[in-house]
Amino acid sequence: MALLGIEARGLRKRLGPNQALAGASLDFSAGLLHGIIGPDGAGKTTLLRTLVGLLRSDQGEVIYTQEGRPADFAAVRPFLAYMPQQQSLYPDLSVAEHMDFFRDLYRLPAAVYRSRAEELLRITRLEKFRDRRAGELSGGMYKKLGLICALLQSPAAVLLDEPTNGVDPISRREFWELLYRLADQKILVIIATAYMDEAERCARVHLLDSGKVLASGEPRAVLRDAKVSSFEEIFLNRSDRKEIRPTDTGGTSNTAAAGVPHA
Amino acid sequence: MSLDFSPGRALAIARKEIRHILRDPFTLTLALGLPLVLVVFFGFAIDFDVRGITLVIHDSDKSRISRQFAEIFASSGYFLAVEPAPGSGVLRELDTARASGVLLIKPDFARRLIGGRTAQTQFVLDGADNTRASAILGYLPGILRAARHRLTQDGPAERITLSTRFLYNHELNTRWFVIPGLAVIVMGLLAIMLTALTVAREWENGSMELLLSTPVRPWEIILGKLAPYLILGLIGAVFIYLTARLGFGVPFRGSHLLYFLLCLLFLTASLAQGLLISVATRQQQLAMQLSIITGLLPSLLLSGFVFPIESMPVFFQYFTSILSQKWFMMISRGVFLQGSGALDLARPILGLSVIAGVLLTVAAKRFKKDLEP
Amino acid sequence: MPEATPAIETRDLVIRFGKFTAVDGVSFTVRRGEIFGFLGANGAGKTTTIRALCGLLAPTSGEVRVAGLDFSNGGNAIKSKVGYMSQKFTLYNDLTVAENLAFAAGLRKLDPEAAAARTRELLGFIGFDHPLGAMVRDLPGGLKQELALAAAILHDPEIIFLDEPTAGVAPAARERFWGLIGRLTDSGKTVLVTTHYMDEAEHCGRIALMRAGRLIALNTPEALKSLAFPGPMLEATTEDPRVVSELSGRPGVLSVQPYGMRWHLSLQDKTAWKSLAATLPPGLTLRHIAPSLEDVFIRLVEGGER
Repeated sequence: MALLGIEARGLRKRLGPNQALAGASLDFSAGLLHGIIGPDGAGKTTLLRTLVGLLRSDQGEVIYTQEGRPADFAAVRPFLAYMPQQQSLYPDLSVAEHMDFFRDLYRLPAAVYRSRAEELLRITRLEKFRDRRAGELSGGMYKKLGLICALLQSPAAVLLDEPTNGVDPISRREFWELLYRLADQKILVIIATAYMDEAERCARVHLLDSGKVLASGEPRAVLRDAKVSSFEEIFLNRSDRKEIRPTDTGGTSNTAAAGVPHA
Repeated sequence: MSLDFSPGRALAIARKEIRHILRDPFTLTLALGLPLVLVVFFGFAIDFDVRGITLVIHDSDKSRISRQFAEIFASSGYFLAVEPAPGSGVLRELDTARASGVLLIKPDFARRLIGGRTAQTQFVLDGADNTRASAILGYLPGILRAARHRLTQDGPAERITLSTRFLYNHELNTRWFVIPGLAVIVMGLLAIMLTALTVAREWENGSMELLLSTPVRPWEIILGKLAPYLILGLIGAVFIYLTARLGFGVPFRGSHLLYFLLCLLFLTASLAQGLLISVATRQQQLAMQLSIITGLLPSLLLSGFVFPIESMPVFFQYFTSILSQKWFMMISRGVFLQGSGALDLARPILGLSVIAGVLLTVAAKRFKKDLEP
Repeated sequence: MPEATPAIETRDLVIRFGKFTAVDGVSFTVRRGEIFGFLGANGAGKTTTIRALCGLLAPTSGEVRVAGLDFSNGGNAIKSKVGYMSQKFTLYNDLTVAENLAFAAGLRKLDPEAAAARTRELLGFIGFDHPLGAMVRDLPGGLKQELALAAAILHDPEIIFLDEPTAGVAPAARERFWGLIGRLTDSGKTVLVTTHYMDEAEHCGRIALMRAGRLIALNTPEALKSLAFPGPMLEATTEDPRVVSELSGRPGVLSVQPYGMRWHLSLQDKTAWKSLAATLPPGLTLRHIAPSLEDVFIRLVEGGER
């Protein structure tokens, strides 16, 4: 599997009245676990959807690289896996039926599928729940099934939109263990999250607010540069400066961006 | 169709859809229960009353009395008298659908009446168009009574008899005529409703976002979703057929193979209409409302089920050609009651094929491949 | 209402759906004016318990007394004393702020004048500064939840149930929301709240921990921490993760949990700490920390089936 990297340059995207992305530039270097951290409405979902080709940016571009060489979106698309934030499985289909469905969509050879499916079920500890319907899974198991469906095709990059939201601490920890396994296999992992404590679990963090990148880099370096001890503080400081509301709907985008601009 | 179309992926969609169907009691009940209920319900309830029926009078007697007798029919208000077709056989008008009824007066009509004998007349009806035939049948006794009363001074007018004869639908049964038409309405509505929810549901429960991030193509989704409902719709069609034959004793004069093949064609067009609604609305509630409006109203009013197309304004005679129900109405009645073959039905078959192809293509083209608002 | 009666009292509460036992013999008491936290894995039975307490679900067996009232006459007496903000539905997105509040007032049959006064009061309470004609769908997530809270307490209930009120809400807005909860209990209301954010749970006076329908712990956050971790808790930092995995086999080391770039080590007692400190691998830094509620949660809930 080829090492895959993604770079976004100056992405701007307007959705209805909101400027969801306001010139975001990010470098998702290959083989690492990246976190996109930001509050609700920061533009995380829009960014991820743009990276997987579900939305087209109004301005700016997304550059994909394979083994360091630029590659077409069409060429890398089969190796991108995406797990949406909103519920996106079929409540009336079982775990096994979901896996069958995605096997057929990805046209996986039977032998590859068998070993892969068993492995994924084992590491997600869903083996005992093969026949349970998605609508009857708990929040954590549901998210893990979503991840299984995304991973069946052996992707080179996995993009996950708030996979741990509404998940209890234990499931959340298990989920992170899975993500580390992926990163160990040099798979590019990009995870969007609103949990600030998850930021420091990533190899690289990208702080996003109001469609702009506040800071990017290795977690400890970002904290050091911002002269704070937690990521929460960066956003709290910023919210104070913006008066009352963490996100504004009026369209007056806050131009006095705090933090370190990304090079 | 895009080059990278994969039958395997379309099949994956189809298999998944079958699982949804089997697990959703609503869809199954709709597909199998609705045709039965509607056909039985409407089959007993629907009856028609028509005015302005075209009538040709062949008066071979040409006496004063026979002209008076004919005049009473012509001015009864029920009929619209038209000139006989020149130089043609007596019943040619019915064959060419110039008229729905023909009144025959025998040459010795006046002579027999004056001589105190029975004077026979005959009314020949186009029985295939049961809407009119049954109505005419209801009017005849009244008109005959009026004629006897008016002609009394010329002799014993009670002696005038009027026999009726039906072409095509010899036993004249309203239900024979209504039910093959009803099959069209019910089958069409059912098919539209079945697929109208499928794509909208994927948008509403969020699965579309995941689906779109996989390599699946619009044509694969469209065809994958069409196939299972085609089977389900065909089962519904068989139910309707059985109800018509066993429940109402409607005769079937055509080829079964042809009929069910054309059912498939009609179902494809209707399912495609439902898919297009689903693709365009992306909301289940809106899709359901639209499917009922577009599936029921035009097919009841404009398909020729209630109002004969030939009696519509010229604009509507053409406009109705975009309705798959109009074409299948001709097919269903033709195959059921007249035993029409594929050649007789070439025009409706072509019409249906064009509609099905256009609807499917538009649905696939309108299918969104991304999440752009 | 006499102060002596507790806000909520359940004894041996059991709720079954068919063969599935969602709540399995739960007994607890919530005092008036308390912030009572309800924690547990997804599917542990938290929401089901709350529904029974709001009078929405009849208990299969056991006793429920809310504001001194029981479940007789179908829970209707209870419903007027409680406010409930559910996990799934909060407000109608396609109605304006004013329409949503008017609808909530209508449901509670408040007379128009009282409703208007109460609405003004609550909008002041949450510091609402958007136009009342704004569509709810256009409001930021945090504000929507504050508004949902206002709608849930329009009829001035004594006891307020909040089921994951801050799920998916921005950190600053979550802080504000918990500020509101604090002010409610200061004014004598009782709040029972569930959350998956363990940092929020620190605000609770007492916490009930559920697992598979049963109550497995009930105490103050501090007491839960010392109960779950009687020995010292350490935070390990290193560049080489292999060093840490080697630690987990040492005697006296109860658990090693990854926390981002760090690890949390829980030790049996002071002796274990001394022996560990004496033989510390190179490149590893350790420092004493207080266990977080997340540590407690994992420690207490882990092990049982979920």
